[in-house]
Amino acid sequence: MRDGTLRAERLWKRFRSDRAAYGLRDQVRRLSERGRGGERWRWALRDVTVDMEPGDSLALVGSNGSGKSTLLKILGGVMYPTAGRLGVAGRVGMIVDVWAGLHHELTGRENLFLAGSLLGLRRAEVAARFDEIVDFAELDHALDRPAKFYSTGMKMRLGFAVASFLEPDVLLVDEVLAVGDARFQQRCLNRMRKVLADGTTLVLVSHDLAAVEATCRRGLWLQEGACVHQGQVAETLARYRQWVEEAAEAAVAFLPGDVRLVKAAVGPGPGDAHARADGPLEVALVVESDEPRTAAICLGVSEGTAAPAFVLRHQARLRPGETEVRCSIAHLPLPGGRFYVWVGAFDGREDVLPWQPAARFDVVGPGLDPAPPGVVRPAPVHVEATWETGARR
Amino acid sequence: MSSEPPAELLFRRRIGPRRALRELWAVREVVVSLAQRDFLVRYKQTFLGVLWAVFAPLTLVLVFSLVFERVADVSTGGAPYALFAYLGLLPWTFLSTSLSQGGLSLEANRHLLNRVAFPREVFPLATVAAAAVDLLIASSVLAVLFVAYGVAPRPTSFWAPLLFAVQLAFVLGVALVASVGVVYARDLRHLIPIVLQIGLFATPVAYGMEAIPSGWRLAYSVVNPMAAVIDGLRRTVLWGSPPRWDLLAAASLGAAAVLVGGYVLFKRLETGLADIA
Repeated sequence: MRDGTLRAERLWKRFRSDRAAYGLRDQVRRLSERGRGGERWRWALRDVTVDMEPGDSLALVGSNGSGKSTLLKILGGVMYPTAGRLGVAGRVGMIVDVWAGLHHELTGRENLFLAGSLLGLRRAEVAARFDEIVDFAELDHALDRPAKFYSTGMKMRLGFAVASFLEPDVLLVDEVLAVGDARFQQRCLNRMRKVLADGTTLVLVSHDLAAVEATCRRGLWLQEGACVHQGQVAETLARYRQWVEEAAEAAVAFLPGDVRLVKAAVGPGPGDAHARADGPLEVALVVESDEPRTAAICLGVSEGTAAPAFVLRHQARLRPGETEVRCSIAHLPLPGGRFYVWVGAFDGREDVLPWQPAARFDVVGPGLDPAPPGVVRPAPVHVEATWETGARR
Repeated sequence: MSSEPPAELLFRRRIGPRRALRELWAVREVVVSLAQRDFLVRYKQTFLGVLWAVFAPLTLVLVFSLVFERVADVSTGGAPYALFAYLGLLPWTFLSTSLSQGGLSLEANRHLLNRVAFPREVFPLATVAAAAVDLLIASSVLAVLFVAYGVAPRPTSFWAPLLFAVQLAFVLGVALVASVGVVYARDLRHLIPIVLQIGLFATPVAYGMEAIPSGWRLAYSVVNPMAAVIDGLRRTVLWGSPPRWDLLAAASLGAAAVLVGGYVLFKRLETGLADIA
């Protein structure tokens, strides 16, 4: 196998379902249970296969507890599978949380060597790149201060700076993009893109679907430890988003609050079956309140998650009983696809109607232009535009 | 979908001694880094700093001098009692620090167990290495004691490294077993200080080997290699004779058994460590 190849065939992993307790008494009890075949297990991974060539990039998505981190740990050799075959060629780098190895009593300088060692760098390698790493982390002024006096951002920069000088054949990254400020995230992404360009195999776990889409070519969606879909990242994410939305819809029809949502309808208006990109859209809501109140009705449109592409807000006076609220959008700034309307009502101090998905609709129209690699497009917005290119006059 | 993997797919980790040692050699620098961390952290922001490494054995010498020299009348073969006791306390403190810190090393690094992939024995090894640095520092006091009592170490002292090697094997084995045991059964951590307390008095640290009936010495050295090591140190450094070879052989046997058995047990239980961390 060439360096950077990763083959995981039919991985299974189980944990004790009572894994909280590890006292002597628990162990004795387990021994007696084992004799009677009464041990309790919980499967965290069921029959998952991952096959990657050097330079491939794979995003692991799924809800919390779906087995993403377990899979990553097994691929990284930190954890052993219960069943299955695993082959990884070349040097493996794993970044779980970037400051895991730091010790708060040690100074930045001491921590830099420690973190490098724990990530698999030789001390000589750290020493040779010391200035570069310190530069990258922007920590030269705080190098001899104990890490306990560092801000979260400083710790993160220190950890990531060391990690980014790791030059593995296979890089496994868990949720580092979720933390840190915008600049730090962009740096991580840039670094990740460079790593990919160098031919490193990348497996990325993240809840930030936009970042995942910008970085990875392939996607793997895990649900209760089993693979639901594996394929092109856009396809995997589209299915996953739809599932997230449907699960949210199924769980609660309409969430209760001081104000209740009675009915929600969305459509392009009379005489048209489908909403069109850049066309009109109308949302009709019926809300019910026990007492008269003034509330800000908020409408959001998203691809599936609670984070909307855009939000519209309207101060409305609600009478006791049912009130109809209508919102007309003249030019819908969305590309073709399936979208969801989220609704909430707020009276300044608290939400009187919790933020919730209310209806879904399909848009007919052109898809989005792809973003350059590594560039995050946080929300799908369709913009009518015309281009002209020609010789400069 | 089936709810259990087919039997032929079950994962068995096969790791022979050669591969285990090769993997360990590959991460030797991690051991150094962790030992450095443990050592730095232990003495950081303490008033006496590394002097604490000297302080522990020195206070015990003081206490022993008061109690054993006056009350129990220990025969030291003509050597000053403080020197006699300190030669016992040096290796004992090394064992005691290694076992108490090494036993908790996996537990203390729990957050790293499911984040890094290197062989887990680096954690107990690093604590033993840090304790060895303590031993080195504490040994310097020996020089002071020799000067203070106007005694010189005997030329047979050159046997000391051999004795240290036997002890190191024993200490490593004990630390490996204790560290993995504490993770799997937390109660064991409370057992360590008790064992050490009993051990301090059950081992000829404050007194000499003569206190143990001569027929028992050989068997005792197998079970507790520390006895033969300390006795050997006193013979070679203070009395100018070689170590008792029969006792040392017995001790080597015991130490080797603990080290090999401990390492095998450790590697066996290592596979599941990340699952419980």
